[in-house]
Amino acid sequence: MTSYGMVFDVKRCIGCNACTVACKQENSLPDGVFFTRTLSAESGSYPNVSRTYLPTICNHCEDAPCEKVCPSGATYTRDDGIVMVDAKKCIGCGSCAVACPYDMRTQIEETQVKGGLFGDGQLTPFEEQGYSRFECGTFTKCDFCSERVDAGKQPACVATCPTDARIFGDLDDPDSKVSRLIRDRMGRQPLPEKNTRPKVFYIE
Amino acid sequence: MFDVSLKNVLRLGYAGRTFKSGYRFQNYWDTPMATAFFCGETGAGLFILSMLLNFMPGIILGLLITGVGKTFFHLTHMGVPSKSWRAILRPDRSWISRGLWGIIFFVGFGSLHVLDQIFGVVPDQLAKPVYLLAIAGAMMVVVYQGFAMSHSTAISFWNTGLMPVSSMLYGFLAGSSLVMALNALGFDVADAGQFAMVITGQKILMVAVLMTVLSLLHNAKHGAKGAHQSYLLLTKDFLSKPFLIGVMGIGIIIPLAILLFAPVNFITTMTVTGTMLVGFYLYRILVFKAGVLDPILSPADIFKR
Ligand code: SF4
Ligand code: SF4
Repeated sequence: MTSYGMVFDVKRCIGCNACTVACKQENSLPDGVFFTRTLSAESGSYPNVSRTYLPTICNHCEDAPCEKVCPSGATYTRDDGIVMVDAKKCIGCGSCAVACPYDMRTQIEETQVKGGLFGDGQLTPFEEQGYSRFECGTFTKCDFCSERVDAGKQPACVATCPTDARIFGDLDDPDSKVSRLIRDRMGRQPLPEKNTRPKVFYIE
Repeated sequence: MFDVSLKNVLRLGYAGRTFKSGYRFQNYWDTPMATAFFCGETGAGLFILSMLLNFMPGIILGLLITGVGKTFFHLTHMGVPSKSWRAILRPDRSWISRGLWGIIFFVGFGSLHVLDQIFGVVPDQLAKPVYLLAIAGAMMVVVYQGFAMSHSTAISFWNTGLMPVSSMLYGFLAGSSLVMALNALGFDVADAGQFAMVITGQKILMVAVLMTVLSLLHNAKHGAKGAHQSYLLLTKDFLSKPFLIGVMGIGIIIPLAILLFAPVNFITTMTVTGTMLVGFYLYRILVFKAGVLDPILSPADIFKR
């Protein structure tokens, strides 16, 4: 069985947010909507300070709380482990958003879609074709670029990352690059105490 | 006064919807959802008590508060109201689904019970099952919202069994207070024994609510990181005034003092009901506003930098 997951190499990430831009472009995300963000966190105190960049994304949790609470059946997990949202079924109740410990759900507001990127109600041709995929009022999130994955490609953020800080692959294959990295460099999951069994790992 | 303003969200430690690592507020469930929860618990609590007392004005008002008020505010919250019916589909796993089934049973069989009492529309052998199914539905409505919140591991402040307890206690307290208010307005509760029982119950429920809210704060103070932030917001930070003055003072201490030390008359009864309901409504709003998510990942914690 395939079980897709991602590894973030924190040592390599330079915080350029090229992944964020690639994701917005690939998914035609309206103003204010992000499926992935590279967060920055400072540690230490002057003069011994350092800044670390932390890429974040939906963790496609094996025990996804967002799926468990969804009353309409809109959130489901594919056989390959990708957690999906069927916008046609979503009622916009927000239960998934308050259940996700990683704050990875976003509501698509009518004003975001109708207002356009410049906020003047004029949609560019790019926006016109892209926004047709969204249902206003529904909650959405990253789907690991499932269409690209189905076509044998890497998710857009992974393909774009200039430092190879994002690695995507099959966690069930012990010889895959992600499995080896997690094994060899002690991959850690975000907020493991929430018992969601994230399929995203951080290595240093 | 209750706004999670940009100033508050962006200050040190609170990341909000930014590219900083830190605490984040939940803002997905807000005032309309809090109002729907308030209507659900108040209406169901009033309905159950009124059914037990066979107090028809309370039964009808309870049905209206939940059937009309809760439904209206849920629909205003919903992103796609036209598809809301789909929420009935997953009672096997979702408390929201179970709650919707509860509302359907409560309002459906409750209305049938009222029609039966007035027009005798239900065959005799079915009257008892209709009565019991309506109460069962209302019981589900009075607790499910607390369960929906307590199942959210994301927000540590909510992730406690005290949430459904507080839902139930507040629901029955609001119900008993409204029974007293209706009685004071001239809709008489049947007999003196029942009246005395409601007053005693109201006092016990008020003390129980106080204990539960204090336990929630204690849990939050000594709980996970996110819960501790919620505790600080409610007791020391920008939510502290509405919480300490509104929820604790106006909503619990003042009505409790009146109940314990003042005679029961029209003014004291209406004051207790009014202040109690204001405090309860603020509680519902502030528990949502104080929902804090733990930082997604802190390198200092994970990699011991
Ligand atoms: S990260 Fe959040 S949205 Fe993604 S699968 Fe896990 S719980 Fe669901
Ligand atoms: S907002 Fe949509 S996807 Fe999220 S829980 Fe509600 S119905 Fe499911």
